[in-house]
Amino acid sequence: MASRVLAQCVRTLARSSARLSGGNLAVRAVAAPVSASHRSFSVISNAERRRVLEQSRVSVVSVWCRQYGDLPPLTLETIRDRVMYVLKLYDKVNPEKLQTTSHFMKDLGLDSLDQVEIIMAMEDEFGE
Amino acid sequence: MAAYLTHQQKVLRLYKKSLRHLESWCIFRDKYRFYACLLRQRFDDGVGEKDMVKATRLLKAGEEEFWTNQHPQPYIFPDSPGGTSYERYECYKAPEWLLDHWHPSEKSQYPDYFSKRETWKKLREQSWDREVAQLQAETPAGGPLSEALPPARQEGHLPPMWWQYVTRPRERPT
Repeated sequence: MASRVLAQCVRTLARSSARLSGGNLAVRAVAAPVSASHRSFSVISNAERRRVLEQSRVSVVSVWCRQYGDLPPLTLETIRDRVMYVLKLYDKVNPEKLQTTSHFMKDLGLDSLDQVEIIMAMEDEFGE
Repeated sequence: MAAYLTHQQKVLRLYKKSLRHLESWCIFRDKYRFYACLLRQRFDDGVGEKDMVKATRLLKAGEEEFWTNQHPQPYIFPDSPGGTSYERYECYKAPEWLLDHWHPSEKSQYPDYFSKRETWKKLREQSWDREVAQLQAETPAGGPLSEALPPARQEGHLPPMWWQYVTRPRERPT
């Protein structure tokens, strides 16, 4: 039933994308008393369809661009955030003292064995 | 010609591969974490050894223990040597000098890249002598010890062999 509702939503979106703003006001006025009254199958599907239409109106743009299964994009900010997140999770590192310019051995007092562990954590994080 | 590993490098390599094989044996994360901490304690006990003879004996014992306890099919990352996807797309990575042999009608389909390429070629002509001079000054006599290239030492200079890095093919073809 949900798939039927969604299919109807997509069809109505494709047909009436231009008059969505005008049509929804009347639709919303109709939907409120309809949902309060007795529930039959067709009534529920109508109310759900209109509610889903209202909610999915915001994301009309994202419907047209497909998101295949892919990794998140690698930008400097995302890489830096992920690296800092992983380093803060390490128990031998003081998270307050951690910065992007801090040296492992001099500032944070880590060992070369800790360095190996950090490298392994980075490999696990970024999928090597 | 001959690059030997230092004792520290050998110990660190043993630590890393033993941790990776331990991860292949103990698949549940909390169990792996427990045994990894025990292993780390064993390595930490031998860290303060000053006598090199004893240290190499410890290392040899460690390597033998690793050999007997290794996992038959350890988890190797796909892109690393021995993994499933290692060098899988190497055959599709064409050398970059082929781009110069394209027909102008093909080149006109990517005007931004080829105009950028022309400016980079002029940059390469200017900086090539400086890169060669820097490399000749910094390589030790008897050949380089490793494949690592030094960074640019002065303001306005480009790092040596930057052209090969900048025009390298993509990791994954689309």
